[in-house]
Amino acid sequence: MTDTSAAQVSAPAAHAERDPGPRPPRRKSSSGPNPWLVRALVLVGTIAVWWLVASLGLVNPVYLPSPGAVWDAFVQANRTHPIAPGVDRMIRGEYNYYLWEHLLASLQRIGIGVGAGILVGVPLGLVMATVRWVGIVVEPYVNFLRALPPLGYIGLLIAWFGIGDVSKYWLLFLAAFPPITLATIGGVRGVREDMVNAVYTLGANRRQALTTVMFPATLPQVITGIRVATGFAWTTVVAAELNNGIPGIGGLAYQAGTELKTPITIACIIVIGVTALALDALIKLVERTVAPWHGKA
Amino acid sequence: MRHDRDVRIDGLAHTFDTGDGEGVRALDTIDLTIEPGQFVCLAGPSGCGKTTLLRLVAGFMEPSEGEVRVGGDLVTKPSAERGVVFQQPMLYPWMTVRDNVELGPKLRGVKAADRRETAQRFLDMVGLSDFAERRPYELSGGMQQRCQIARVLTNEPDIILMDEPFGALDALTRERLQDELLEIWRATGSTVLFITHSVDEAVFLGTRVMVMSPRPGRIVLDERAVFSTPEKNLDADEIRALPAYAELVDRVRHAIHQTEPSPSR
Ligand SMILES: Nc1ncnc2c1ncn2[C@@H]1O[C@H](COP(=O)(O)OP(=O)(O)O)[C@@H](O)[C@H]1O
Ligand SMILES: [Mg+2]
Repeated sequence: MTDTSAAQVSAPAAHAERDPGPRPPRRKSSSGPNPWLVRALVLVGTIAVWWLVASLGLVNPVYLPSPGAVWDAFVQANRTHPIAPGVDRMIRGEYNYYLWEHLLASLQRIGIGVGAGILVGVPLGLVMATVRWVGIVVEPYVNFLRALPPLGYIGLLIAWFGIGDVSKYWLLFLAAFPPITLATIGGVRGVREDMVNAVYTLGANRRQALTTVMFPATLPQVITGIRVATGFAWTTVVAAELNNGIPGIGGLAYQAGTELKTPITIACIIVIGVTALALDALIKLVERTVAPWHGKA
Repeated sequence: MRHDRDVRIDGLAHTFDTGDGEGVRALDTIDLTIEPGQFVCLAGPSGCGKTTLLRLVAGFMEPSEGEVRVGGDLVTKPSAERGVVFQQPMLYPWMTVRDNVELGPKLRGVKAADRRETAQRFLDMVGLSDFAERRPYELSGGMQQRCQIARVLTNEPDIILMDEPFGALDALTRERLQDELLEIWRATGSTVLFITHSVDEAVFLGTRVMVMSPRPGRIVLDERAVFSTPEKNLDADEIRALPAYAELVDRVRHAIHQTEPSPSR
């Protein structure tokens, strides 16, 4: 970057801070309508059209229930309610779990799967990128695993680990770690050679060069890998819950659909989508907190 | 700091492997001894092999021929005795300016209080005390380069290798940093190898000025210069007005032009 000389002529101070000084924070461009307002309006419009179509009776409510019916189903799924109108027997939510418990069960599965993926994927990526022969030998397998749709091998995992949660943990782990490993390798390879040379000229040994330069320099890429892996694991877990997935938000969506309880299925679909967006936003926030330099240096 | 170690460059040559079997011959045989405390300026057209020479002295790569010795010891890898100021400031954005400057002593296990004191001295010297808790990417280009210089100086290397450190700066910042660098060099007495493509900068700063020919680089001029020595108590403008100064600038310029390929090529 070149300093603007105009800014420098005007300040001939003694130790002369003639540089333009620290950069001002970047401003958002304020032209055009507020995008959030536009989005909110489109959302309201979509729901209005949906409501109109449903209330005019254009579509059989079993196929497309009204927004109100979906909302009622959502509320009821989070309450203890009579098993049928006018019946005394009470039931917790849906299939004996509240909807939020279904959601939590799915989140817990991806937490375990992605967590294990990070614990294995990051060190593996670091070793593969720094020890040449390990990279040469292992990389094709990681790429192979990544190319496989996880639901293609769920059957094998069920045969090995049974139909319970253990096979789902394995599935999510196997789905999560390849993107994390590959992102870590990309991060290590993307570190500028002179960034590492510089720390050696300051007196670092190999271990210090790794901990003070290589690891932090790789961090933004690792987090990006975790983001990709989490998104992938989320779509995978929802689909994997077709088998023995109660409690589980995907299991609930599927089970309710097969019983033609469309309102609850649609409520689940919305919850699944919103959760995916929230997870993504959360990881972006983590990145901005732990690697604030990303994209600036 | 030890100021009794010379840099001996012996039969040094380098050819980059480009994978086409031929390679790029960047440096032709260089023989050169840099005495302790000298401020050597190396000028030459861009692409002539200046950076290659500096990287070989730094120990970043192995020469295809010849060797570099510092105080008699063969250079095989980078070391804290040879500080490097890179053309692009290689600051670490996950650390504050202060932590960047303190990094060398920290890696060597110097006590926190001691290294803090040294770092503060050099932060003051380059005028960055007010920005010590900022991150490097919050600084302007000139401030980043000063931060990098402070980081190298805090580590007290015997030899400072600088690769066109002021090349990307505007004229005013550049002249001020030149003055600061001279002050620091006079105060510390370290050995400096300073690469530049500016003839004026080379003559102004160096106690010894060298010119390198276009690729493959060879030393085609090697002259003493006296304008930066401590005894000369003149300010920058007075120095530049000296007839002897203009004379040396002419000779250096002439040497560069003579070696330059004809425009038709
Ligand atoms: N890693 C490399 N691989 C191949 N050629 C290189 C490499 N680095 C430099 N060169 C070539 O060597 C020559 C000298 O480069 P360099 O030392 O950077 O020149 P200078 O610093 O004087 O501008 C140039 O022609 C450049 O293209
Ligand atoms: Mg260069």
